[in-house]
Amino acid sequence: MDHRFQVSLRGVIDLLSHHLYSSPGVYVRELLQNATDAIRARQLLEPGHAGTVRLELMEKQDGSPPTLLFTDDGVGLTEDEIHRFLATIGESSKREALEARRNDFIGQFGIGLLSCFMVCDELLVVTRSARGDGRTLEWRGRHDGTYAVRPSEHLLAQPGTQVFLVARPDMAHWFTAQRLRNLASHYGGLLPFPVHLTTPEGTERLDSSGVPWRREYDSASERRKALLAYGRELFDTDFVDCIPLRSTAGDVDGVAYVLPASPHFNSRQKHRVYLKHMLLSESAENLLPDWAFFVKCVVNANALRPTASRESFYEDEALAAARESLGQSLRGYLMELAREDPRALQRLIALHGLSVKALALDDDDFYRLIIHWLPFETSMGMMTLADYRRAHPVVRYTSTLDGFRQIAQVASAQGLCIINAAYTHDTSLLEKLPHAVPDVQVEPFSSADLPQSFEELTLDEREATFPLLRMAEGVLAPFRCGAVVKKFYPAEVPTLYSADAEGAFRRDAERAREESDDLYAGVLDSVMAASGSEPAQLCFNLHNPVVRRLAAVADRDMLKLSVEMLYVQALLLGHHPLNAQEMVLLNQGLLGLISAHLGGDGGRGGEEGSGGAGPRGLH
Amino acid sequence: MSGDWREQAESLFEQAGGLAEGEGKVRLLEEAVRLADTHKDVGLGYRMRDALIDAATFGGFPDKALVAFAWCRGQQKKDPKRFDPEEMFWKQKWVVARIKEFPHITRKQIVDALDDVEQCFKATDSGVRAVLKMRYQAAREMGDAAEEVERLWNAWLEARRDHLTDCRVCELDDELDHHVDKGEWQQALRKARPILDGRKSCAEIPHLTLGTVLYPLFKLGELEQAREVHRRGYALVAKNREFLSTVGEHLEYLALTDNLARGLTLLEKHLGWALDHPSYRDRFTFYAAAAFLLERVLAAGARDVVSLRLPKTFPHHQADGGYDVRTLHAWTREQARDIANRFDTRNGTDRFARLLARNQVLAGEVRPFPIDAK
Repeated sequence: MDHRFQVSLRGVIDLLSHHLYSSPGVYVRELLQNATDAIRARQLLEPGHAGTVRLELMEKQDGSPPTLLFTDDGVGLTEDEIHRFLATIGESSKREALEARRNDFIGQFGIGLLSCFMVCDELLVVTRSARGDGRTLEWRGRHDGTYAVRPSEHLLAQPGTQVFLVARPDMAHWFTAQRLRNLASHYGGLLPFPVHLTTPEGTERLDSSGVPWRREYDSASERRKALLAYGRELFDTDFVDCIPLRSTAGDVDGVAYVLPASPHFNSRQKHRVYLKHMLLSESAENLLPDWAFFVKCVVNANALRPTASRESFYEDEALAAARESLGQSLRGYLMELAREDPRALQRLIALHGLSVKALALDDDDFYRLIIHWLPFETSMGMMTLADYRRAHPVVRYTSTLDGFRQIAQVASAQGLCIINAAYTHDTSLLEKLPHAVPDVQVEPFSSADLPQSFEELTLDEREATFPLLRMAEGVLAPFRCGAVVKKFYPAEVPTLYSADAEGAFRRDAERAREESDDLYAGVLDSVMAASGSEPAQLCFNLHNPVVRRLAAVADRDMLKLSVEMLYVQALLLGHHPLNAQEMVLLNQGLLGLISAHLGGDGGRGGEEGSGGAGPRGLH
Repeated sequence: MSGDWREQAESLFEQAGGLAEGEGKVRLLEEAVRLADTHKDVGLGYRMRDALIDAATFGGFPDKALVAFAWCRGQQKKDPKRFDPEEMFWKQKWVVARIKEFPHITRKQIVDALDDVEQCFKATDSGVRAVLKMRYQAAREMGDAAEEVERLWNAWLEARRDHLTDCRVCELDDELDHHVDKGEWQQALRKARPILDGRKSCAEIPHLTLGTVLYPLFKLGELEQAREVHRRGYALVAKNREFLSTVGEHLEYLALTDNLARGLTLLEKHLGWALDHPSYRDRFTFYAAAAFLLERVLAAGARDVVSLRLPKTFPHHQADGGYDVRTLHAWTREQARDIANRFDTRNGTDRFARLLARNQVLAGEVRPFPIDAK
């Protein structure tokens, strides 16, 4: 009796091949999976049963497409079960339904068989159940949705299942001996029972001899050598080290390999994962905690749930717990390095500092163990935190690169050692220090803190620089900037402009306001009105010869012009873009100075000289 | 020397690309923008701001996104051929969707900005659904009349999807608010199911969703599931200040289930974000939850002083880390109340006062369910 599937089989096959599977080659994986499940089921009935899978490629003399015979000696199917898997196929037109069906043996069997229609038009399944009445049944299904179930004429002597696939002419290239050899060893390389391939050239055994990381080795170094060789073979990479992985949650075990070069932060490593010893994915990304991007893994999991495409794991509690334990395996390795082999740890930090730092942020014990070995950039060169603290009781840092650049030169001339904590995680790591280590003082440092370390003026000097200070306060007030005169090193630096982070943001908002339309200018006015930034400050350096001479200038116009220009120069040196008003200062000032230099009215060139077409750019 | 500033800007841009969302990334791009501006390179300034808007939006700096967008907007108006406004429609949406979170922006400015988005989108004959969702969310959050909010909700969901519509997962997440507002816990959870199961996700989903469903789960007595959702969800939001209000939801859940020690740990860890967070709405959610937590600590009566490591910028900072619970409670409640007043005054409604009053309701609902028992 012939039947029809209840749904358009074309639609289901289309769904599978276009949305679920990455390549038609997965039909080999699906058949191996079915065989594996069947053998496991039979082993439950007959504990001693070893299990074997055979692939036989039969090429036709007349050059028509070959046939593949796929045989297992697993549990087989009863008639009732055949009807159940057919029903599964009938309900499988939705992706969600497919996912749900994956979890039971029969459902998986049906979906697995469907994948064969990506490479052939007709399937013959011959099966005898270990649980049944000893009959051999056959199911013949076609891609157009017709099928027939009947007792088979071709009797099987033992329980098991045979699947016959006649290659579709346009898919014959998925049926060559080489392809089958590759696909079967690719997906089934860790299977705990033999997989044989028979081709016109003869019969060969494809599986490897078990799981490399579970094998016994004569010594630890033998083991390391063997596992590194295995890693090289799998990933074509010479790894630095290998770390055993184990998690009870999800029943996961495997090896993590330490990468020989530091990966890009965002590039989550792609791991090779097996599910119940069948290759699930070569690019699983969600297996390890985020910080652990310094390793690439190969693992087997027995109790994690695969996604519908069977190419990675489902984000569920079991996976979260497994991820946590695998992270613990890696952490244990790092902790042991820190205690047993600090030099190796330092090499690892040099290579994978970001991973190490990310873990230290998350984990207090690890942090305490490792923090002093971490290297930091400072205004006096690279040094580890241990070296830094030996020389400097207070840990001072800036958290922006710009902030660091603005102060590095002056700070080091002043004998201040400041850490550039603009690199990923550095600021957070330093802020954590007082919480993890008692009695450490850690302070953020910015250009606004520098003047505190500067030398105050004497009374005489204060008097002598009074006109300069008054003028500067007057000139700078409209720019929300105060003025102060002190003495600092290096002497070549005439002034230092400092503003807090709010102040820098306010400057950005001002520039945006100048450029924007009415609607957004209004919105930005509200933003600026609400911002609580401290006024900026321009600190003049009396050690600087120009500033000394300036303090003695009697010509008020010249003094004003010079202060304006020093202000603009300080902004530019500190990478603070000029707003429109400051741009006017610069343009007028340049002309004023030129005109003053050429003689004439002593520097009053500003207002008249610059009208209209002043230079716009700086270079 | 003068030539390499371009390279410097590009290198900052590249470094930023390699960073996770957060403050570090925003700072690098701000620096690149300043370099471009210093050298008056408008093209480069535009490109760097384009990236900055994304980083600031997803890294918890909506104010910086606004400023960067306003500048770009100016360039678009001056030279629309060179700086195509349409290419920034999505960013415009992100920016405008959040200006209601700043109490110093007036209601008129918010309405004008929304109208402006509608005009801009209409010019390309698209974005109706996107605009309706923004209008619904603005009305909801500013506490407008229930009928008006309901009308906009329906209009939003009836409108046709197009390329300016948020992805289905994000929309689904936003739909949950409506059900939670109305106390439709079952319905909220039913809708959230595909997200909770991990079948659907997006850049900020399930991060946000796992916070939203905590209270519905609690109300339904699904305490085991709530605990799992808290564990999973908190891990996702703990490192990005963009999720301050979601952290607030976790804080509230911990207080509700009497996990006070863990609650204090969260408070300690995230107070620094709240102190200078640009989104006052997010600050409010956090402070309101913190006030509820501290109220529970007071009610438990076991201790008057707690030992916490709070940031130096905290006004009552104590070098020895010993904090009087009463002081902390009064301060967080005052912060929440102050923000609520500012919002309600601006909005001309009482939504935030009502949200704050909710803490009294919560106090009667506490149901201990230890989280650390493994």
